[in-house]
Amino acid sequence: MKKDMMSRVNEARDYILSKVENAPEIALILGSGLGDMAEEAENKKVIEYTDIPNFPVSTVQGHKGRLVFGTLRGRRVIFMQGRFHYYEGYRMEDVVFPVWAFKALGVNKLIVTNAAGGVNTSFKPGDLMLIKDHINYTANNPLIGPNIEEFGPRFPDMSEAYSKEMSDVVRACAIENGIRMQEGTYIFFTGPSYETPAEIRACRILGADAVGMSTVPEVVAANHSGIKTAGISCITNMAAGILDQPLNHREVMETAEKVKESFSKLIKNVVERI
Amino acid sequence: MDLRARIEKASGYIKEKSGFEPEIGIILGTGLGSLGDHIEKVSVIDYSDIPEFPVSTVFGHAGRLILGYLEGKKVAAMQGRFHYYEGYSMQEVTMPVRVMKQLGIKLLIASNACGGLNPNFNAGDIMVITDHINFMGTNPLIGPNLEEFGPRFPDMSEVYEREMVEALEKTAASQGIKVHRGVYGAVSGPNYCTKAELRMMIKLGSDTVGMSTVPEAIVARHCGIKVAGVSCITDMAIPDTMIPPTHEEIVRVAESVKPRFVSLVKGFVKEVQI
Repeated sequence: MKKDMMSRVNEARDYILSKVENAPEIALILGSGLGDMAEEAENKKVIEYTDIPNFPVSTVQGHKGRLVFGTLRGRRVIFMQGRFHYYEGYRMEDVVFPVWAFKALGVNKLIVTNAAGGVNTSFKPGDLMLIKDHINYTANNPLIGPNIEEFGPRFPDMSEAYSKEMSDVVRACAIENGIRMQEGTYIFFTGPSYETPAEIRACRILGADAVGMSTVPEVVAANHSGIKTAGISCITNMAAGILDQPLNHREVMETAEKVKESFSKLIKNVVERI
Repeated sequence: MDLRARIEKASGYIKEKSGFEPEIGIILGTGLGSLGDHIEKVSVIDYSDIPEFPVSTVFGHAGRLILGYLEGKKVAAMQGRFHYYEGYSMQEVTMPVRVMKQLGIKLLIASNACGGLNPNFNAGDIMVITDHINFMGTNPLIGPNLEEFGPRFPDMSEVYEREMVEALEKTAASQGIKVHRGVYGAVSGPNYCTKAELRMMIKLGSDTVGMSTVPEAIVARHCGIKVAGVSCITDMAIPDTMIPPTHEEIVRVAESVKPRFVSLVKGFVKEVQI
């Protein structure tokens, strides 16, 4: 099955390389409502997911579903506009397929972003959080199955899933741009239902600061294949039970819209300096 | 056949067969099926006769749907439920809830037999569920969203409606039945938890542990059905003092709770405003 996976990845890579001139060095996976900054890349080349052999297709409202190649502050980048979520019913190996394709294209740095719920009560909607570490609360892992030796070892280390070096750059850029930046641990739930207040209290006891339905599979796959990673969460809402009000996806999108500008400033600066 | 079509086929059959429109759905947990004896029956349908319905395999679960009047209210009571540990998919486990939604229910009373983790509880006590923690590692809404049932990201900040919790407590008080409030933690099973797992669940805020209810409650909330939850504590599972109960002991305790459970649910159904 996974022996086949390597050839599937290579087919996707070959197609992409037939469309773009320069292979990218940095990949960016942009979360719900944060995809717009790909528009700022220069010399853009867009490839729809539906055109790439073996690529899954995004189904979520607000997720575009395409790769944008270009240069940003002089660096060759690839933006993933729209990601594959486990809650959509994809297999974990489909969720992380793009990361493997990035690796095959020669990417060695990844910036992942997401919209997340604030578990830490000192956070506020609109805050950005540097992801220092994560907790996988799902009972699944994208590396289950035969190991793809070409990418990495059977038992990859996760003791520094989020590169200290890249995180230092993110911190420095946040300060320079006058952006308030929280730091914390991201916990991955399957979704798609939001968590209950009892689950959020459990998250706090477990040491989580933000909760969401993405990122962890991609970061696990990136680390396995030796791609250095930095992660930033946009706290779009407070998690269940903190405020006495129901959660909805509209609130998530509205908050993401508000932070878009400072977020984009930060990312550009980070890309320039890593 | 796709899930939507299966739901339509099953609910269509029940509508045609019974000509009855229930307003309250009741899921009867292990050993609690005898509530069905108190229903003035309009129609009784074996699960095996309902097209596309999964079939119950557990000893002690009768596996039939009773439609009729309880305390003057129109109810649909499930004698026997589908557990994840039996090997059903989460979509199958929760399919009856969506079928009952199509029949017209506005309120679901979900009951179960479970283990007690809170030191203030005793075997034979009844707990009104105020919230839950999903320890099952999966979610019944993973996969394409059924838009006609509910939103992609349903809120779970008040799965067990406060008014229902209070109404259950009021009924219990008027009947002189002692009830606790608490959080239900759901694990996949079928093995019972280890002591280390039980300690973890206690630390994370669970008052009880069981192998059902959470998937059904999530799917009910997704499609806008109110949920009331009642747990019967058949054994205490506090790791450092527990004596693993024999099956006979659990059956004995369940027998002793049954009259109080039946009386509580009947009283609640009589008084509840939907």
